[in-house]
Order: sequence, then structure tokens, then C-alpha cells
Amino acid sequence: MKSRLVSGLLGLLMPALVLAGEYNLTVDRVDIDTGDFVKKEGIGYNGKSPGPVMRFKEGEDVTINVTNNLDEMTSIHWHGLILPFDQDGVPGISFPGIKPGETFTYQFPIQQAGTYWFHSHSGFQEPDGAYGAIVIEPKKREPFRYDREYVVQLTDKHPHSGDRIMRNLKMMPDYYNREQQTVGEFFSDASKNGLMNTVRDRMAWGDMRMMKADVEDLHGFTGLINGKGPDQNWTGLFEPGERIRLRFINSSAMTYFDIRIPGLDMTVVQADGNNVQPVNVDEFRIGVAETYDVIVRPKDEQAYTIFAESMGRSGYARATLAPEEGMEAAVPQLREAARLTMADMGGMGGMDHGSMAGMDHGDMDMSDSNDMSGMDHSSMEGMDQSDMSKMDHSNMKGMDHSNMDGMDHGSMAMGKGGPSDPFYAKGSGLIPTAANGGKFLSYADLKAQDPLYEDREPTREIELRLTGNMERYIWSINGVKYEDADPIRLQYGERVRFKFVNETMMTHPMHLHGMWSILDVGAGQWNPIKHTVSVQPGTTLYMETEVDEPGQWAFHCHLSYHAAAGMFRKVIVEGGPESTQAKADVKTEKGGDA
Amino acid sequence: MNASKFLVAAAVMSMSATTFAAGAHGDGHGSSSSGEPGKASEAGRTITVEMYDNYYEPESIEVTPGETVRFMVKNEGNLVHEFNIGTPEMHEGHQKEMMMMVEHGVIQGGKLNHDMMNMDMGGGKSMKHDDPNSVLLEPGQSKEVVWKFSEKSDIEFACNVPGHYQAGMYGDVNFK
Repeated sequence: MKSRLVSGLLGLLMPALVLAGEYNLTVDRVDIDTGDFVKKEGIGYNGKSPGPVMRFKEGEDVTINVTNNLDEMTSIHWHGLILPFDQDGVPGISFPGIKPGETFTYQFPIQQAGTYWFHSHSGFQEPDGAYGAIVIEPKKREPFRYDREYVVQLTDKHPHSGDRIMRNLKMMPDYYNREQQTVGEFFSDASKNGLMNTVRDRMAWGDMRMMKADVEDLHGFTGLINGKGPDQNWTGLFEPGERIRLRFINSSAMTYFDIRIPGLDMTVVQADGNNVQPVNVDEFRIGVAETYDVIVRPKDEQAYTIFAESMGRSGYARATLAPEEGMEAAVPQLREAARLTMADMGGMGGMDHGSMAGMDHGDMDMSDSNDMSGMDHSSMEGMDQSDMSKMDHSNMKGMDHSNMDGMDHGSMAMGKGGPSDPFYAKGSGLIPTAANGGKFLSYADLKAQDPLYEDREPTREIELRLTGNMERYIWSINGVKYEDADPIRLQYGERVRFKFVNETMMTHPMHLHGMWSILDVGAGQWNPIKHTVSVQPGTTLYMETEVDEPGQWAFHCHLSYHAAAGMFRKVIVEGGPESTQAKADVKTEKGGDA
Repeated sequence: MNASKFLVAAAVMSMSATTFAAGAHGDGHGSSSSGEPGKASEAGRTITVEMYDNYYEPESIEVTPGETVRFMVKNEGNLVHEFNIGTPEMHEGHQKEMMMMVEHGVIQGGKLNHDMMNMDMGGGKSMKHDDPNSVLLEPGQSKEVVWKFSEKSDIEFACNVPGHYQAGMYGDVNFK
């Protein structure tokens, strides 16, 4: 690492040493051993997946040489970093990509601090293993203290390659869904709720082209922490009494995780790289592409399990904090799978989802379907296509029907006295609760520690409906998929309020590149800034963006297969410094590639 | 420790769950306390403690057993902070009360709701936060704490606004 004097006016006024660092990354074919299976022909960096932890300093000018050793194009996107758009690493938007055998040199200033990550933005290389962590040390002291720190990077490693998964999902969207409702459940519902109500319920779901069990559309993965499967048990060491900073990063293709460390309180101090006012929690949910930094203080000379259950309870990742290598603590059982409820369908046509008040479907009750009359049942084939087919290829043999009564349709009544979180539809089957009955983090708890922007009125609002047709595995925004859509045009200097209306049954982690997403949690000046915001089914969520970076950027759902299926937009920032505008025109020539 | 001293100390700690905290890490070797309110006239020196979001400057101080110190506490941050002298166990107990203050809207980020603080919580209790071993300050405020340290014990000054202590907003009191 070398340092040099800044030249130019700023340099004359304020002579300062500028840090500069040069780093090398190779993109390689690697084997990925999860303990459950060995994935040949995975992709990694510097010979490993996950790649190295890149450690930068705020204020440093970095040069990163990326050599592509694959026989296909690649790219690296620096997720959450504020940088010139032509360094953002999205083929077709920021640059053409990196050809096989070629070395591309990224150069940009580090203007922020915190926990971030990097990954390929080409094809399905990221689910295939092309990801790593970024840790940026701040210029000033941290607003918290810790004795040691660990990156805890999660992923959902699947034995199939990303290309194969996408092909299968396109062919049969429920290919990887093991939690489907069965004929047996249909009859049990019918006896409980009456045949007509059950048929009506299933028709409604069929109309959505969705299935009740669509909490996750990719089952069959092994959860990894820092590249280690549950049996390989990644372990972080500590001395009792120390404060440990854990930098959680969810690099999964598709999986949300609910994270807890039985026996330890966690204090959340950072979200998506930005410090938040500390919140003590027992458990938190990390969306795909999000990061959360927590501080824990194990006082006893014992091992603690870091347990990360997938939101749909189809898998988990596990790691250990221990005073010595080889120690371990009990690994909890997976809790029962969440089931979507009618509340999660809140976005259906005919229902008012224009306001938060419109989300009040919480008291909806199977036997009293007043609200259902507002739904459009004109397409009867919805029933044939999805509900009937669901019954046909039911996994009858594999299913244990012994606990039919225990099947959670009781969650329909959750609206009254059940768990609540303003960022989920009232009565949603997805509302998380802490395993120990304690505090589960909500977006509503996130308040900026030191707000980056002044609060001001947005200059305009842009509505983005998150839309999809699950039966055909098409995911889109405002009903239009990426290849058919016009870019979103923003003006440099404006503050845009984005209104996300999730009309699908799945949670979408929306990621705007290049500029911060100011998440509206109702805290005004203290609203936190993030790079990825999760929009729950049947809800409307607002975020604002100060349009302060010129050029063109990607804006998409970070679920790999949703982005590839079309839930993706190009954002063009018009105006701003002239030089960057000229560069943008050049880059626009080539077509987009998610 | 004489009787009157004991009473005062016990009164000070009555807000915390562990009314008579043992020494370092609760190993139960004899009794110790954080000390008692001091008289300003007996203070041999003044220590200025600045509170930022979320840390103190300085992060440790040195005292001699029996010394009375006048603390000038300033909140230089943008959030409400506390300066509280006590054992880790006392802080832990007090954190539950502070959590209640947040839940009742007494502490709102950078503001204190004084009406709410004075509200009768029943049984003559309120959330006034007027104990002599601590001050709770809004951004820009400063107040004094005069404290007489007793014998050598495990004492920290800490901010028990929820999450702040856990995040590391505490300082060590080292006995010479």
C-alpha cells in the first residue's frame, strides 16, 4: 500500500495523505464442499468460495484487478458501495463485462464504512459461489466497542447449478417446493371450514397463480456460514466477557434466514453498512443481500450455536461461538413451516392496497369471506391450473399426514392477538416471532445513528408494483418484465419517493444500485438508509432516494431467479456533472444483462 | 462501612434489581457498593465527561478509595444519554427500567418527555430518573454528579438507554 499527496485545489487548501491500496482477485472454477454434497464446477475468488474478505479503509482509493479464469464472461458488483457507475460491475449497464482470460481493473474511492459484500452480476455465477465479504474501517471511531469481530456470511448452496434451477423453475415453478398442500389437506380444510369455503380459498390462490406454501420457491439447499455446512460447523473463538461484533451478510440466491444465538442477547448496531441506534433483540430476519452487524457478549466459558433457520423452514445454517475449537452447543430443531395466509394475498386485484389502511385483511376469516367477493374470480381456469394440478402431483407418499390437525391454518386468526409487525400484512403467516418468546427485530426498530441526509419533502413519487405470474415463473415490475420495460428516468438532485406495492405472495428484497434507499419507518429524520429493502406480500412500503449519483444503475429484486425472470429495471439518472453524462451515453449502447 | 453509609447506598440502589450487588463478577467476596452521593465542597477535583453517540470521552477514569469527585457531564451527541455510576449488576437492573422509559415514550431518540417522566405510575412511583448516582441528558444539556467512591470494587459508569451499554457505552472506574 502506498500513499501520495493529493494535487489540485483541494490538495493545496488541505494537504492530506491519501490512502491507496491495490488488490487482486481471480475468478476461478472451484469445488464447493458443503458436508452434504460436493458441488463441482462452482465459482469462487482466489480459488475459494466464498472469496476473501476484502478489507478497505474509508477514504482509501482502491484499485482492484479482477482476472477472469472462466471460459465465460464475468463481472463483480460491489454491493452497497457508493461509487462511479462505470465501476459498479453490472454487464450491459455499467460496463460490457469481463471476457474470459481478461483482467479488468476497478478503481474507485471508498467513501463509506461498514459491512458489505461483492458478487458476480453475470448469469447465475453468484448462486454458483461467486461472492465474498467487504469490511470497511471508518475514518472516525465506531460508535460502539468490541474486542473482536467475525464476518458471518450466509448462503443457500444448492446441488444444482443456477442455470439448471432456472430451467426447472421455468418448466415447473413448484419444482423445488416440497411444502405443497396436498389432497389430504384439502379434505381436512373442507371438513373444518366447509367444502365451498375451501374451494373458494383454493380458487383464490389459484387466481393468484400462487400456492399457499410459496414462502420459498427453492428448497433442497444446504445453508452455509462462511462456506461451511451445518456439520462442518464454522467456529469463531472468544474469551468469556469479550464483546464480539458479528457481521452477518446474507449472500443467498433465494433464502431469508431467521437468526438467533440461544443464550445470548444480540445488539443490532448496523444495517446494510450504516450504523443504527442500537437495538437489543433475541432474533432477527435477514433478507437476501442485507447485512446486519450485531454485538454479543458471551460471559460464560461455553459454546453457543449461531442458528439460522430459513424463513420457510426448509433448511438452516449453523455455526458456533466457543472459547475453544471443537466445542459445540445444542443445535435447535427447525420450527414448523410458516404458511401464507389470506392476508398475504392483500395485493390481489379488486382489493384496496393504496394505503396502509387497505392492508387490514388481518381479521379475514375462512368462514366469512366478505372480502373475497371483491376478488375477481372470472378466470376459473385458475383453479384448474394451479389447485388441481397441485392435487395431482401431490407428494402423497412422502407426506406425513399424522399431524393434520396441527397444520397451521390457525394462523388465519393471527390478526387478533397474534404477532404483529407494521412491515407485514396484518394476519400474515410470515410475521416472525422469537423462538424464546422475546424480541424479534422489525424494520420499525431501525433508526439511523447519524443520519446521512437532511430530511426533506420528496420531489415526486414513483409507484412500483411488484408483480408476477408464478405459474409461468415470470416476475416483473408494474406487470412488465425487464426486457420489455423502459428505464426509470430520474433527475440528478431530486428526491424520489418510491412506493412499492407487493402484489405477489413472495417477499422481494429490492436493491437499488449506486444510491441509498432511505427506508420510511415513520421516523422522519431518523429513517435508516439501506441498500436492500424487503417488501412483504400484501404490503406497501415506501423508500426515498436522494438522486445524487449520475449515470445508470440496476434496480432489481435480489432473489436471483426473480431478477433473471424480469423483476429488474435500469435506472438512468439524467443531469449531473457533464463528464459522467457523456460516459453514460457510451455505456447505453450495449444491451442489458441481469 | 457504617450504618448510615449503608442506608444511603441501599437507597441509591433501590432502583436497580440487585439492591446489594457483590463485587467483581458477583463472586460474593464481601460487600461492596459503588459509593455514595458526595458533597460538592469535598470534591478534590472535577472530571469532565463528554457523552457522544454512543460512547464516553474519557472511557476510563482513576480514583482513590474514599475520594469525592465532581463530574461535569455533557451530552455532545444527538441522542439522549445517561451517565450512571454503578456495578455491572446495578446497570443490568437499571436497563430494565430504562427499557420501560422507552416503551412509555419517555425517551424518544434525541428527546425526553418530561410530562411522562413525572406521571404517577401508581404506588407513588414515577419515571423521574432523579437518583443521585446518575443523570439523564438530552443533546446539548450538561449536569453535575458529585460522587464519593467507597472501597475498591467493580464499578463502571454507563449509559443504560436500551442498547447503548451493550453496544459499549460504558467506562471503567479504576481504583489506585
